[in-house]
Amino acid sequence: MNYIPITENDRNSMLKQIGVESINDLLKDVRPPLNDELNLPKPMSEFEIRQHMQEMAKKNTVLANFVGAGSYDHYIPSALNHILGRGEFSTGYTPYQAEASQGTLQAMYEFQSFVCLLTGMDISNASLYDGASALAEAALLCSSYNGRNRIYVRDRLHPHYLQVLKTYCNAANLEITDKIDEKTSCVIAQNPDFHGNAENLAHLADQAHKAGALFVVCVVEPTSLAILRAPADYGADIVVGEGQSFGIPVNFGGPCLGFLATRDFLLKKIPGRICGMTVDSKGNKGFVLTFQAREQHIRRERATSNITTNQGLMALAATVYLALMGRNGLRTVASLSYARAHSLQQKLQGLGFKILNDRPFYNEFLAQTPKPAAKILSKLSENGIQGGLEIGQDRILVCCTETNTAQDIERYVSAVRES
Amino acid sequence: MKTIFEYDEQTSGHLADEQVSIELPGDLRRGDLPLPNVSEVNVVRHYTNLSRENFGVDVGFYPLGSCTMKYNPKVNEDVAKLEGFSSLHPHAGAKFAQGSLQLMWDLEQLLKEITGMDAFSLQPAAGAQSELLGVMIAKVHFAQKNQKRSKAIIPDSAHGTNPATAAICKMETVVIPTDLRGNMDLQKFKEALTPDIAIVMLTNPNTLGLYEENVLEICELAHKNGTLTYCDGANMNAMLGITKPAEQGFDMIHLNLHKSFSTPHGGGGPGAGVLGVRKFLEGYLPIPRIVKQDAKYAFDYDRPKSVGKVHSFYGNFGMLVRAYCYIRTWGSDIRKVSEHAVLNANYLLSLLKETFEVPYNRSCAHEFVVSSKNFGQKSAQNIAKRLLDYGFHPPTIYFPLIVSEALMIEPTETENKETLDRFASALKEITREIEENPQIVANAPHATPVGRLDEVMAARKPNLKWSAGNRII
Amino acid sequence: MLEEIKFTKEHEWAKLSGGFAIVGISDFAQKQLGDIVSVELPKVGSVFKQLQVMAIIDSIKASSDIYCPLSGQIIEINQNLHDHPELINQSPYDGGWMVKIKPANKDEFDGLMTGTQYEEFVGQK
Repeated sequence: MNYIPITENDRNSMLKQIGVESINDLLKDVRPPLNDELNLPKPMSEFEIRQHMQEMAKKNTVLANFVGAGSYDHYIPSALNHILGRGEFSTGYTPYQAEASQGTLQAMYEFQSFVCLLTGMDISNASLYDGASALAEAALLCSSYNGRNRIYVRDRLHPHYLQVLKTYCNAANLEITDKIDEKTSCVIAQNPDFHGNAENLAHLADQAHKAGALFVVCVVEPTSLAILRAPADYGADIVVGEGQSFGIPVNFGGPCLGFLATRDFLLKKIPGRICGMTVDSKGNKGFVLTFQAREQHIRRERATSNITTNQGLMALAATVYLALMGRNGLRTVASLSYARAHSLQQKLQGLGFKILNDRPFYNEFLAQTPKPAAKILSKLSENGIQGGLEIGQDRILVCCTETNTAQDIERYVSAVRES
Repeated sequence: MKTIFEYDEQTSGHLADEQVSIELPGDLRRGDLPLPNVSEVNVVRHYTNLSRENFGVDVGFYPLGSCTMKYNPKVNEDVAKLEGFSSLHPHAGAKFAQGSLQLMWDLEQLLKEITGMDAFSLQPAAGAQSELLGVMIAKVHFAQKNQKRSKAIIPDSAHGTNPATAAICKMETVVIPTDLRGNMDLQKFKEALTPDIAIVMLTNPNTLGLYEENVLEICELAHKNGTLTYCDGANMNAMLGITKPAEQGFDMIHLNLHKSFSTPHGGGGPGAGVLGVRKFLEGYLPIPRIVKQDAKYAFDYDRPKSVGKVHSFYGNFGMLVRAYCYIRTWGSDIRKVSEHAVLNANYLLSLLKETFEVPYNRSCAHEFVVSSKNFGQKSAQNIAKRLLDYGFHPPTIYFPLIVSEALMIEPTETENKETLDRFASALKEITREIEENPQIVANAPHATPVGRLDEVMAARKPNLKWSAGNRII
Repeated sequence: MLEEIKFTKEHEWAKLSGGFAIVGISDFAQKQLGDIVSVELPKVGSVFKQLQVMAIIDSIKASSDIYCPLSGQIIEINQNLHDHPELINQSPYDGGWMVKIKPANKDEFDGLMTGTQYEEFVGQK
């Protein structure tokens, strides 16, 4: 395969116009030139690469999935991929030239609006890399806003998120502590938490605010917002999270979609792109990137973040997903996910599993297994089911979405019986 | 066009509507869910019409400097969507993920060969996050060695991400000016190279589109000073098979897979920003690492020196699939990519150097910078907007900051001579218009879905989300 | 009018009035910056040395440091600028003033450029 359209004739006349004999004459400033050829495999045709990749994909085994833990298998309507595949969307870049990027910009504005409607917040940015780095960005934002450098993290934050947060905190000289006091910059809580527990966190928001700290809520499974109270209602100053549930395949963990939304007073501190509505020279409505003076290409070392490329196309996927599902569809997704998880939970209880959740859960629960967890999960996988995430010897974290049908749940239960 | 929130219709049945009971206490339960209900046909029309107001590489020439807007092969899109890849859960476990792990392991080997580095982390989601990982590694490295180094040397031509990244890691930036040949000023660099310098961040070729002629000396001096050398590899498209960053003396490099290796830019992402390091830094890379044992692939979490993690899982895997395909497609011929990127840039430069001021008179790498300052203040902006009327995406403008009225042009290797000729003619025609009919340029664009947009109003009267009755006109 | 006002090389102005100094940026500076969209002012009570960065002004495409023309303590800031940053463009010497300082050392004021000197300085640019 060859993606270079230049003919030999063209090449010769171009070299002549430049005034050199060969392409090598243009490379005289290169230090040090490479003398040997790269040791890479032979080139491949399109047909060959497709075959090669199909073989590689076959080496993976996709099971009926009952695992969430940060990545959720929801149904993706067909129309979504048709829109996402349009080259006008997928092959553009950051819309610096607004007049030629109204499609991307209006979709960004709609994304920001959807995030605000779901979280109840005032302002959203146009996406960050993923939920974990969005959470880390929120911690940096808080420290930059109030000049404090201690962070309180509530139990049962997704362990990967905690690791990413710690990694960023080490870099930025922020400290994770176990108390809330007048030195606390922000209080972070995941809701529903890593074990699936959903809680009204107003008491924690109060505690944070009394200490003069900001309250950050992290939402890892955002379909929960269709039936659970919006974080703004219980006092969040910042809501961050992962938008993968909205129309993005699990894809072995990426690309995902980080989001970050805040209350009004944090506008100038927000990391990443923000789109705003304005008018053109004739007074017609249009969209532009705005508050760019926060960003690295203008503020350099004083920027609110170093982010530039974000997850634009994934934000578009979430936008189109939410448009396709609408109010009714998203409620259905959430209700079915809730119902399936509770149905499986009841059945497992009947088989001697102990449910360890101390609060109502949405679509994920922590179960203590009557036999070693590894044994049960292995039996399930023999039956084509990925039965949960093993957490210690006798605990599994189980998740359902609307894609886990009643038959899947029956198969799950009978495999457990056999184990 | 109206926004999606202004529809109110019957929705389509993407899911069967079963009656289920939800037992949640009132203080947990949501009341109103204020989303629009839109029919599928109108969702499709809405976003299809929006897409038609967008410019992409699939629409036309997109010479956006520093961004490598090359053609994105369609087969890579198809294979990335193969069920075996796209439906695999990140917690599937190594046993069920051998294909994906092999792809990641193989990609790492290919990148090592291309750059000369000893190990790669595929975790960072974009170049800027990779830079952050690089500076984190430098910070941890010196902390372990008990050395107090808190400064980063960065040339004045650098991308803004470099100083912004250093700032996140609480490192002070020492800015080095550019010399008359467009290189980082070697003398000034030597003077700045004090014992508290942790890292030198150099872009090669630099943002002026010029290969750093002193790169070997810079890296050697840095190493003698105990300083780490970092290559911002955004411009790798000028180095494939031509030179290896490790042999230039760099300890670390990030690559933007969405630039050099042709994964689509997605209207601003997702990208993928892998980080390559030399052997002595490998232990710091994020967990998990992918390892190969007896023809099986596995995750390795046992890395006591690791800085930690920068991504929820393993990075933007879908982008890794596309980049892997791109590199395997070119294989041992990959040098042709960079050769033709350099050829196209030099050809276009030769067509434009009579029209615009060229700040540094050298052969360029895969891109070049000219100045339109002879055509007055704001001329770069006006020329950019007018180019839209000619059917071209404009180059990057006003960057690098050290060239006034800068136009930074990167044609890439996937354009033919005729396109470059037409683009050069359009630019020359616009400069004629500036002399003869300046208003048509100053008020451009005229042929786009909207006219020039009021950015001042957007910032002074922010309207950042839809709400009922929130219409500004 | 320019006589009582003095300037720095960084294009800030200062004017003494009743033991305090009123500070802003010059007409030349606001024209260079273009349409100003936001201003980050220091906290009342904070103390700066002469030519230390005390504020940031953002226009659409640029972000500029504003230096304190005189050492001293900030005793008042122009709150109007938060909602109406365009006042700096419209009226840099009057409605667009930025802060009031209690100067620590009045000799510093004498060391600043006079209006005539500043005009010459700007003319050379």
